[in-house]
Amino acid sequence: MTRLVHAELRKYLTTRLAWSMPLTMFLLGGIFAAVQGLVLVLLGEIPTGAGGEVIRPSELFDDLTLARMVYTGAVQMGYLLALVLGILTMSGEFRHKTITATLLSSPRRGSLIAAKVISLALVVVLNSLAFIAGSLLGGGITLALGDAALFPEPVELTTTLLRMVLVLVLWGLMGFGLGVLIPNQVIALFVGVGVTLLIEPLLGFGLTFVEQLADAARYFPSQASTSVLDLFAGVDEQTAQQMGAADPLTWWVAALVLLAYAAVMTVLGWVVTARRDVS
Amino acid sequence: MTAAEIQGSGISVRGLTKSFGSFLAVDDLTFEVRPGRVTGFLGPNGAGKTTTLRMLLGLIRPSAGEALIGGRRYADLSSPMQVVGAALEATGFHPGRSGRDHLRVLAATHGIPDARVDQLLELVGIPAAARKRAGDYSMGMRQRLGLAGALLGDPDVLLLDEPANGLDPEGIRWMRGFMQHLARDQGKTVLVSSHMLSEVEQTVEDVVIIANGHLVREGTMEELHGEPSTLVRTTDPAALAAALDRAGIGSAVEDGGAALRATTGDLARVGDVALAAGLPVHELRPLRTDLERLFLQLTEAPEHRNRNLAGGELVGGDPDGAAPPVRAAGDGPPVGQPAGDGPARAGARHTDVPAPAEETR
Repeated sequence: MTRLVHAELRKYLTTRLAWSMPLTMFLLGGIFAAVQGLVLVLLGEIPTGAGGEVIRPSELFDDLTLARMVYTGAVQMGYLLALVLGILTMSGEFRHKTITATLLSSPRRGSLIAAKVISLALVVVLNSLAFIAGSLLGGGITLALGDAALFPEPVELTTTLLRMVLVLVLWGLMGFGLGVLIPNQVIALFVGVGVTLLIEPLLGFGLTFVEQLADAARYFPSQASTSVLDLFAGVDEQTAQQMGAADPLTWWVAALVLLAYAAVMTVLGWVVTARRDVS
Repeated sequence: MTAAEIQGSGISVRGLTKSFGSFLAVDDLTFEVRPGRVTGFLGPNGAGKTTTLRMLLGLIRPSAGEALIGGRRYADLSSPMQVVGAALEATGFHPGRSGRDHLRVLAATHGIPDARVDQLLELVGIPAAARKRAGDYSMGMRQRLGLAGALLGDPDVLLLDEPANGLDPEGIRWMRGFMQHLARDQGKTVLVSSHMLSEVEQTVEDVVIIANGHLVREGTMEELHGEPSTLVRTTDPAALAAALDRAGIGSAVEDGGAALRATTGDLARVGDVALAAGLPVHELRPLRTDLERLFLQLTEAPEHRNRNLAGGELVGGDPDGAAPPVRAAGDGPPVGQPAGDGPARAGARHTDVPAPAEETR
């Protein structure tokens, strides 16, 4: 198994993705954290939908919450990229027909999938480090410009950043499951990004009109990810609701929800893969 | 040859069947590949060769039957690359990964060191291209890279799927020599598929011929060639036939009564008999089986007519038999036309095609 993981890591490290993905992670992390900082710290006003009210984050939030929100401001970009990374792990093999050579060198498909899951998790962790570095740089600049504390309460803030790594890894695994289920790379990418950016928000919005299902949206991947980060820990409930974080799941429950998505898709994909003819 | 040796590195296919929906790609196929020999796995395009090889390698699940290597299924081998090396058609390479890195990825699964990777790149003759992106490789370089991948684990058994496809004449000659080196000098078991008998007839010792998923013929090349015979032309064939008969050599009339076909490969003896009988010899040469025609007869017989050709047009052998164009299935590009240097086609104006009566079905 160690050898298979080694081979999978080598696969990742020997294409351009090895440096282009961390670079993209770093840049997007920096840009979107900076944008978040710009809005929360430098502009200092967030209009809410209800009657032209305006939230002034610097008045409402303590230093820790503000830093958390800025440094995790790019998380949606981060987990989308992790999703892409996960999808490419499997569907790339079909796209370039490398699956034949892969299966000849590791014919036990269960072991192969396990090795891919492990190596993907490691790869996403590595990419997360680039992503966090970018976020700290981009967000840190805006915090510094706005005279806000750069790194208040290091332990809590580090915990938040580690949870962001966890979110990215879980999204990578969800992407992997998707890639295993849908071997066509283009379709898998389209479905993955489409569901995240379009279907999920629309469905979540629609569900707010159905009283019995209003809570269900909490279990959607994006909302569960926000819950894992637990950004509104130090914020009173009313403000949190105004900012769209209604009644979040406990962080570890949310993490388990994401893990369950990844597991169900991977197991379904494994069942299909184990029987699939490769020609 | 002991059973243990066959267990060691032979290939055994028993009742192998694969259907894709209603299409029966491989139908109750049974054959053996003896260890330490080069076996040609022949059939027109679409006969089921690749499907069979992929079933041997666990890539396609058989609908019925089994395909074993050294008595075991591929998926049950603990270090498969050290037992079987396979170079399959349509094996892809990531276009952005170098050939060397492609091999290094495969090597990592078996803990094979980079030194072995470089050694193989040298052996297949692409060390210079090894660090370039595989997307820029020519077909010939891809074939060589695939072969290097198959040899990484130094396996005893090699499965090569149409290894000469896409190669230029120089590449084909290299591939032939390479296969002979593997089999004769290193004693490896080689199963090489091809849709052209002429492409492998100088390389292989045994043949397995299939058509439309069925076994058509299995045996050695000698069996395929049939009994050696000699063509002799003289002024009085009847008198010579009688003289040959007295000498214990059978003969038959050939070429519309103008010549005789003596059932011996010993040209000198035929000449001596004619001299003793006082008959002039106008022509004396060995008759070789035109294997290409035989191959077409076997695989294009009405019951084996290519199911993939809509009209089912029969490709008739040129009656003159002078190096007929190889159009085994009528759909493949004429890759690697034989250079016409083989003894089999040297002056094969009169061809001797034994009736395919002993067909093994």
